[in-house]
Amino acid sequence: MSMVQAVQPEILARLGALSLTSRQAVESILSGQHRSVHHGLSVEFADHREYQAGDDLRHLDWLVLARSDRYQIRRYEEETRLRATLALDCSGSMGYGQPGPTKMGFARSLAAALGFLMVRQNDSVGLATFDVRVREFLPPGSTMAHYLHLLEAMFRTEPGAETGLAAVLEELASRLSRRGLVLLITDAFDDPEALINSIKLLRYRKQEVRLFQILDPRELSLPFSGMTEFIGLENEPRLRFDADRIRKHYSREFGDHQSRLQSGCHACGVRLEVCQTDEDLFTVLGRALDSR
Amino acid sequence: MEFLTPLLLGGLAFVSAPIIIHLLHRRRLTPVDWAAMRFLVEMMTRKRRRLLLNELLLLLVRTLIITCIALAMVRPAFKRSLGSHAGTAVARTGRTAAVLLVDDSLSSQAGRTQALFEGMKRLAISYLGTLITGDEVSVIWMSQLGQPSADPVFDLETIKSLLVNARPSYVASDIPALIESGLAQLKRHANSGAEIVLITDGVDDGWRFNDVSRWEALRRRLRGPSNASLGSKERPQLLILCPATPEPMRNVAITSIVPDRSVLTVGSESSFKVNLRSRGDPATSSVRMQFLLNGRVLEQRTVEVLPNSEASAVFTHSFQEPGSYAVKAKLLDHHDFLAADDQRSLSIQVEPSLPVLLVDAKGHSGLRGKLGFLRYALDPNGTGGGPFKIAQVPLAQLVPSMLANYRVVVLADASALEPAMVDALDRYVVAGGGVLVGLGPDSDASQINKTWARGGEGFFPAPLSGVSTPTKTLRPAGINRTHPAFAGFGPRTDDAWKAAAVRSFFTLATNARTAKDLEVVLKLENGEPLIVERRRGMGLVALLTTSLNADWNDLPLQPAYVPLMRGLVGRLGSFIMPPRNLLPGEPIVYARLSNSAEVLTGEDPSGKGLPLSLGGWEGREAILSEALTQPGIYLLRDPQIARPIRFAVTPSPDEGTLEPASERQMGEVLDPDTPILRRVEQVSEKLAASGRQSTEIWKWLVAGAILFIFVETWMTRREAAGSFSSVRAF
Repeated sequence: MSMVQAVQPEILARLGALSLTSRQAVESILSGQHRSVHHGLSVEFADHREYQAGDDLRHLDWLVLARSDRYQIRRYEEETRLRATLALDCSGSMGYGQPGPTKMGFARSLAAALGFLMVRQNDSVGLATFDVRVREFLPPGSTMAHYLHLLEAMFRTEPGAETGLAAVLEELASRLSRRGLVLLITDAFDDPEALINSIKLLRYRKQEVRLFQILDPRELSLPFSGMTEFIGLENEPRLRFDADRIRKHYSREFGDHQSRLQSGCHACGVRLEVCQTDEDLFTVLGRALDSR
Repeated sequence: MEFLTPLLLGGLAFVSAPIIIHLLHRRRLTPVDWAAMRFLVEMMTRKRRRLLLNELLLLLVRTLIITCIALAMVRPAFKRSLGSHAGTAVARTGRTAAVLLVDDSLSSQAGRTQALFEGMKRLAISYLGTLITGDEVSVIWMSQLGQPSADPVFDLETIKSLLVNARPSYVASDIPALIESGLAQLKRHANSGAEIVLITDGVDDGWRFNDVSRWEALRRRLRGPSNASLGSKERPQLLILCPATPEPMRNVAITSIVPDRSVLTVGSESSFKVNLRSRGDPATSSVRMQFLLNGRVLEQRTVEVLPNSEASAVFTHSFQEPGSYAVKAKLLDHHDFLAADDQRSLSIQVEPSLPVLLVDAKGHSGLRGKLGFLRYALDPNGTGGGPFKIAQVPLAQLVPSMLANYRVVVLADASALEPAMVDALDRYVVAGGGVLVGLGPDSDASQINKTWARGGEGFFPAPLSGVSTPTKTLRPAGINRTHPAFAGFGPRTDDAWKAAAVRSFFTLATNARTAKDLEVVLKLENGEPLIVERRRGMGLVALLTTSLNADWNDLPLQPAYVPLMRGLVGRLGSFIMPPRNLLPGEPIVYARLSNSAEVLTGEDPSGKGLPLSLGGWEGREAILSEALTQPGIYLLRDPQIARPIRFAVTPSPDEGTLEPASERQMGEVLDPDTPILRRVEQVSEKLAASGRQSTEIWKWLVAGAILFIFVETWMTRREAAGSFSSVRAF
């Protein structure tokens, strides 16, 4: 799949109407559409608060003091650039989907679209591809040339090895020193508790995290019939089951996994977006970004 | 426990079907790449035992469904034996295999409102009442003897219904054949306790007590091997159910209608002798009789009939046109114990003349020839205007194709026939033709024995021994007066041959086999046969052991020669083939003159259409009907023939004797200890069912199968429902 195919012109055109908005202001030295937590460093007034001992008197609102004899400190908002990192799962399980679109293909398209949105609004975007370890890490940049570089790296990567989300996210947390946004695109076929703990670590490192879970519709319904030999994509042993007989039990296991993942994400303030590969990418983006 | 339909035990093999399907199902693997292996691995770790258990349970339930159905079909039953068999005629321990032999012959119609047959039915039904669930029964009817019999059944109600609705037939009875058929039928039964139950009207005619050798063979079969126990299939228990005969059995029967000549011709007056037989003490000594021709009453008269005697009445008629006719004699306003024999029909064929082919070895004609005297005897004027139409050919010119045009072929002092001609004559006789062979000085005994007689296999009546020329001439002496050849002779038949002299003749080399079929028509005074006759197939061959001309005797010079030869040739040519006088149960067979696409139609005695089909008869295309059960006149209309062809179905006259067979007679031909039960109470007492009880469990098995089907449905639906609800959960 070429980069042009991955980021379809039609999608890009429709993306123009959207913008990626962080729910939490991120630190940035560049002006952008995202609020900075560094109050007082900008010229745009935000609000007042009571003066407290030790406050810089330069921010004292003298007009208020003169008018009401109250010590109020002026607070300012600073628009800054968002530093986002696209964390793309390249484990073997992401290669599932033939015939039809693979999860990896869908993940690439999603990542490309998100990256395009951010670059278009002068935000910085980086890329980390991983399986059991971080395969490639590109620090955030805000130019279109950087974006193309990102795309190239993204499409160079093929799904292959096993999944080790928890370890990878810990490694990623150590690399991301500044506040930012991590857009984690994965099928999340890992231990939910370990994954949530790793996400918590990212949160602790001032990273907002959004989890895009990419699933093939067949993984929800197990649509096979009769005796089926399941061949794993991550070197698991082959398993033979009567698909009709295990469907109920499989669905329970899968449902349990999803519940644990969802509750874990909710507990640590991470939004989980479940995407199916047969869905329209624009719909998925619309649903994911419509939270301004 | 036992199985009532063990033949279906093979169905239990289907029990393995779910297991085989399961194993085959497991072998048909579909490989798929799969990403979410994590959940399968977790599921397997946690649910492996449950999944396996579920699978085994489902397999078990499915196997149980098949098992229940298969077991229900073999009808398992628990049996219990209670009490002793004291006082019973038949000791029954296991399951009974009963073959009911129902003698539904004509004589069983006897009695007012067929009381005899109704009595037989009551006895049979009471016998069924002594059987229990698990006993198997088959029924063989006298009227269906020779046809494939039905399989034994366990459903006693079906048999009961069959008996209740049964009606007597018009067939003749043959008790030994019925018992033989029952013995053969026993082999088809599965149960071990063999019982042959003869349900008969007790009329002695069907018992054929005189057939000693046949009964001896039958007794041996019934006794079985010496170590066989009574009631086994090798030595079945024989029971006779025979209702008490109402006394006296008054009956007047028309036993036969006999024309005065073998060949009925146009223009000559023919007479028909109607014979009656009276049994018992009739209510009146005279009966009114009607004589009908083609359904039209010709004459009606009163005939005197004395008790236990025979009487006859002669009716005459002159036929004006050739063709097929049916004469019928009927008793009017007569009420006796058997109405079925109060009328009788006869199909006759009136011919313009009888075509006869004379074959002279040397081709001489006139009185010098071998056949000169015979020719003058048959056709004195030589014009063919009499009852015989004569044609004569030399032996050298005789070819097989000629035979089809003649009803009688006469071979005089000939022996050198081509093999093809011998074969043609053989087929001609088998298909109903008549052959008269006269011997003489040119006859070669060894050649005749080798090619014509073939040790009794050929058409020639008996092998020849050699020429006998006694020093003193012999004259004919022993005359078979009942033979139709002597129908034209008066009461002083013996005197007719007083002056005859036979100088030479051939003696016969008969053995037990060839002598059995041979009928001696006329003997010489030394006891050697002079004229013999043998039926072969549907035809007749007569042999004159001396010459037909005056070479070896002076018979042609005797006045009796003319009526003898006319009677003999007429007798040989009198058979219309295929026959038109049939017994109940026989079909109409009609061979058309030529193949034609025109459709023949049939009509039964009540005027309804008769189904006909195309078949074969003696190598010729023929029209066949189904077996005719009702007596009376059946019509067949052939568009090629102006008049319809009439077939007469008449029951055997012997069925009307109604002479009851005594228990002593039955005991003589069978085992004297054979139980003969005449009353319903006797049957119930002697064959009490209380000694055995049985419980069938097929209904429980069917219920079990239905229950397991519900369980299986519930198990499979539960899995499906669970899987959908899990999917819907997210």
